Amino acid sequence: MVLTEIWTSLIMWFFYALIPCLLTGGVAILPAPQNLSVRSTNMKHLLMWSPVIMPGETVYYSVEYQGEYESLYTSHIWIPSSWCSLTEGPECDVTDDITATVPYSLRVRATLGSQSSAWSTLTHPFNRNSTILTPPGMEVTKDGFHLVIELEDLGPQFEFRVAYWRREPGAKEHVKTVSSGGIPLYLVTMEPGAAYCVKAQTFVKAIGRRSAFSQAECVEVQDAQIWPFLLHLFGKITMVFGASPTCVTSGEVLPLALALFAFVGFMLIFVAVPLSVWKMGQLLRYSCCPVVVIPDTLKVTNSPQKLISCRKEEVDACAMTAVLSEELFRTWT
Amino acid sequence: MKLQHVSLWLLGAVLILCLMHTRGLRRCLISTDVHHIEESFQEIKRAIQAKDTFQNVTILSTSETLQSIKPLDACCVTKNLLAFYVDRVFKDHQELNPQILRKISSIANSFLYMQKTLRRCQEQRRCHCRQEATNATRIVHDNYDQLEVRAAAVKSLGELDVFLAWIDKNHQETSAA
Repeated sequence: MVLTEIWTSLIMWFFYALIPCLLTGGVAILPAPQNLSVRSTNMKHLLMWSPVIMPGETVYYSVEYQGEYESLYTSHIWIPSSWCSLTEGPECDVTDDITATVPYSLRVRATLGSQSSAWSTLTHPFNRNSTILTPPGMEVTKDGFHLVIELEDLGPQFEFRVAYWRREPGAKEHVKTVSSGGIPLYLVTMEPGAAYCVKAQTFVKAIGRRSAFSQAECVEVQDAQIWPFLLHLFGKITMVFGASPTCVTSGEVLPLALALFAFVGFMLIFVAVPLSVWKMGQLLRYSCCPVVVIPDTLKVTNSPQKLISCRKEEVDACAMTAVLSEELFRTWT
Repeated sequence: MKLQHVSLWLLGAVLILCLMHTRGLRRCLISTDVHHIEESFQEIKRAIQAKDTFQNVTILSTSETLQSIKPLDACCVTKNLLAFYVDRVFKDHQELNPQILRKISSIANSFLYMQKTLRRCQEQRRCHCRQEATNATRIVHDNYDQLEVRAAAVKSLGELDVFLAWIDKNHQETSAA
């Protein structure tokens, strides 16, 4: 009798102890996130997955990555993502984690309280050289007669190639390399009445790829009167002489030099031409109707210095006369 | 007269070939931005070098080994030293700090990419290994073997800035644009 009682109470305690276990066993195991994919545009890589829905609960996610080095040499090591150690949204910016142009494996798991799901791994490792490169955003403006562009700032990994040309048949295309965007860049001083077109593309050295060129954008300067343009040039030239060297960028030197030459040419035309005309007149006057004044000493009159012809017979007479002239010369000096 | 012409042509052809050969060597690396790797290393340099307890010893033997490498051997030595780091140093170093681990991973994976680029050069026979290059590599491996593994790995990691600067100097590429 006593034994059966003890046995019954033991069984009851055993079941009481099991109840919590049964209760937790009844809640669904947290499912792993599904449909992992990476969307990469202009070297910004975004890992995305389908969210795990738990009604009334906030599920957090953790992301880990493994480069090709780790998968080959230390396959058990997974590195926690820089920004997504417990993140809410069903996406993670892994740009700061993917730092080499090799295939990276990525995995995600969901966390709810103390519970964690299994790891869900990206099917195909992601290599950043598969990023989609778009043509850069470009703003083309006119600063007086200067053609100025500002390119989109895409980060330190991006270089730009800018091509510009005059919109006329047979015009030459100029190309400039720009190391970073986000700052205004002077291209060329435009001539009035001409249209100029610009297009740009990006280049990422780390993956050795370029984007397509952007759509060409064209601007035109009004066919204004010549004087404002000349005044502007004059102002630029005085700025070259007066301002500090840093004001003039390397790209401005050639057009400014040309402007300087043009100015000098104008001055020469307005000054040198009348001067040369006057000089020519003088030259003609002297060559046609010269007025020659012979100095007194050259005039042949009854002077002691006779013009003598020395022949052999008259040597003595010559010598005498020569001595006489020498004496006269000595008295004069 | 004809003989003179022929010899002049030959000389010109030889000169052009030499020019192309040396140009090919210079371009035999690395579209990778070495500066980016140097930046990664700068962030962990102090922590790594602080762990180095053998200050009087060097593994890369800078003055004897790296500085005396001729441009002709640069490609082979780069290839060998990259393999040295990837196959030995990074594996032998056990890093627990997640911040440092992240940077070492970045450097290791970048080295892997550089190795792939060099392999392409090798296939095109632009990365020939002479005796001098092989000797230099052997010196580095011998230095590494003389220390205890963990200490050697830490010291080699600490000398990464020297190695990266040397690569930068030897394999400067003009901008692709």
